[in-house]
Amino acid sequence: MTTILDPTNESIPVERSLAKRNGLISGRLALLDISKPRGNILLKKFENMLASQFPDIVITHYAKPTFAKPAPEALRTEIRDNNDFLIEALAD
Amino acid sequence: MDLNKQGEKNMTDAPLPAFVLENSNAGHTSFPGERSALICFIKADCPTCIAIMPLLEACFRGMQDKIDIHLIGQTLQGNLELADKFDLHAPLLDDSTLKVSFVYDIEIVPTLIWAIPPGQENKRLEGFDKAEWEALLLDVVEQSQGSNRNTTKFPAKSESTGLLFDWATLPKWRPGCASLSADPVIAERLQAEADNNPLRARKIEIAATDDAFEFMYDQGFSDGLPLVPPTPERVLRMLSGTRREAQELIAKVPPNMGEATIEKIAVNAVMAGAKPEYLPVIIAALEAACTDEFNIHGVMATTMGASPVMVVNGPIREKIGMNMKLSALGQGNRANATIGRALRLAVRNIGGAKPGGTERSALGNPMKFTMCFAEWEERSIWSPLHVERGFNATDSVVTLFCMTSGPVLIVDQTSRRAAQIAGSMGMCLTNIFHPKAQMVSDTLLVVCPEHLDTLARDGYSKENLRNRIQEITMLPMADLVVDDNSGVGIPTDKFANMSSEMQQSKLPKFRSNSDIHIVVAGSDAGKFSGAFHGWATGSTGSISVSKKIEET
Amino acid sequence: MHDTVWFEIQGVPSVAIASEEFEDAAITQANALGMASSKCVYVTHPIQDATDKEMQEKAEAVLDAVILALTQI
Repeated sequence: MTTILDPTNESIPVERSLAKRNGLISGRLALLDISKPRGNILLKKFENMLASQFPDIVITHYAKPTFAKPAPEALRTEIRDNNDFLIEALAD
Repeated sequence: MDLNKQGEKNMTDAPLPAFVLENSNAGHTSFPGERSALICFIKADCPTCIAIMPLLEACFRGMQDKIDIHLIGQTLQGNLELADKFDLHAPLLDDSTLKVSFVYDIEIVPTLIWAIPPGQENKRLEGFDKAEWEALLLDVVEQSQGSNRNTTKFPAKSESTGLLFDWATLPKWRPGCASLSADPVIAERLQAEADNNPLRARKIEIAATDDAFEFMYDQGFSDGLPLVPPTPERVLRMLSGTRREAQELIAKVPPNMGEATIEKIAVNAVMAGAKPEYLPVIIAALEAACTDEFNIHGVMATTMGASPVMVVNGPIREKIGMNMKLSALGQGNRANATIGRALRLAVRNIGGAKPGGTERSALGNPMKFTMCFAEWEERSIWSPLHVERGFNATDSVVTLFCMTSGPVLIVDQTSRRAAQIAGSMGMCLTNIFHPKAQMVSDTLLVVCPEHLDTLARDGYSKENLRNRIQEITMLPMADLVVDDNSGVGIPTDKFANMSSEMQQSKLPKFRSNSDIHIVVAGSDAGKFSGAFHGWATGSTGSISVSKKIEET
Repeated sequence: MHDTVWFEIQGVPSVAIASEEFEDAAITQANALGMASSKCVYVTHPIQDATDKEMQEKAEAVLDAVILALTQI
């Protein structure tokens, strides 16, 4: 990944587009717990529901060390390299 | 404030950082580091902080005679709201710069820190856990000298009696919110400040699947040609080209009045393909462009299609390898090409001037990509441009001229006398704007060496040349009247109302000799000088501006 | 949002789940990060004192929205 510095006066956000979606969930899905209380219950429920609705997908749980900061680079990379979808919860 | 960030929480060896913050009573509150204190970091939009504000206020009222209590808010507006909402006696300290939050390594608000002499962090609580807070506050009271639990007004355990605070009103437990100082963008800036890293510009991550060059086009950073990706490494290298501070503000660039710091100029210089040693020229050029006199906003916005031409004088020309000889105004020299482009990109990106936005040029102008060259001072018989304009010969100077056309070639391969060469130049200049448009514009005349030699043979000074141009371009008023050939000129009725003396008078092409700027450049062979035609000159348009270039 | 925007840039369709109290903050942040279209699904407040059963009901209520966020632009 390349990082560049913004040449503008930064009054306008850089517009980036979403990753492509193809209309269905398949492959590997990451559930990322931001480590705020109660989020784990919600994610567990998602796992159950998604597993029964999409029996072929592989679901993996991850947790951030703290909700106060973005996930550390190593965790991000691990999730990216091993997953096709991500659900992150629960900001409160 | 000179604070060092603590590496670890609850460190027992490193003393707590001292701080001085403005408080909500319009005074300053200082924490020297080695005193006992309860320090609580809060943020007004955190529900947990809001929930415990009554407790913090009660602590202040009941315990301030026993221990210093510092409530540190992360936004000024938030502090005002909290003080108002909770009718606080406790002063709120303003840490809207987040520097104290950062050095205390606050991740979550509320964070309560119990500091004890000699500058140690005795305890740190994050979020709100009622049992923990009760225990900590009780410990504080018990350890306060001369305290007596029966008489203290401290907000103690809920089952106790006669206390000022009802703990039952508080939730048992709340996790708190992320500290503003932990926000990635802010944290990165704070860390950069702490590390003395000169870079502050927003970092943009380009996806691995994205092409960096395409990405920069998509963001509108480009003039249409490819850009060099301004990575932090390249920008740091570019900054090595100047001694000036990266965050020094050079100019506010219209139309958005974007702040052109040295760093932002360096980012654009990298994109343009410039080398670090060119940076001082680019900085001076942008400074010149953003003066009232040069009026870069008008220059870029006019429907006429104007653009700055940069002329570089002085020792820096040789030092950075600028071209002033064969093809000086053309392609093929990196310094000439990229310095001019860097100025344009800075105006585009920092100022926000883009075609279709504030740039309204009817045809545009290829010089809007880049136009920069150096004067061949050593070949000239005259004082170079910057010396004429009041600088020392040993100064390096960049001069900006606003052009709308050119370089228009002056083809004269046969004149053998100075008066003839100067005459040809004058005749070719009559077309600026329109042959009937007198005294509205200015010119930058680039005299080629062969023409120069002819002028030199007859001892022509720059002033002789200017006088000859004015003489040759002089037209009688009658020739300037609107007619069937052209609607441009003096309206017939206006001409009819003139006195006969006025009707018989003549007008030169230029309002004054000073509107004829003269430099020497080009190859030794070829009797072809060039003229840049100006825009509206004077305070309503653009006046040439020169700036001294910082020597490194 | 910082995380999900990063994953989107990396090509991983992502959705953040937040309490409805966070909707304004999430939208502001998505804009600031240059991805106004980034996906966020909101569950009803409150969270911290909700029972397990209530949390599970919140999950059920937004499951379809979460799937949609991961499968449609």
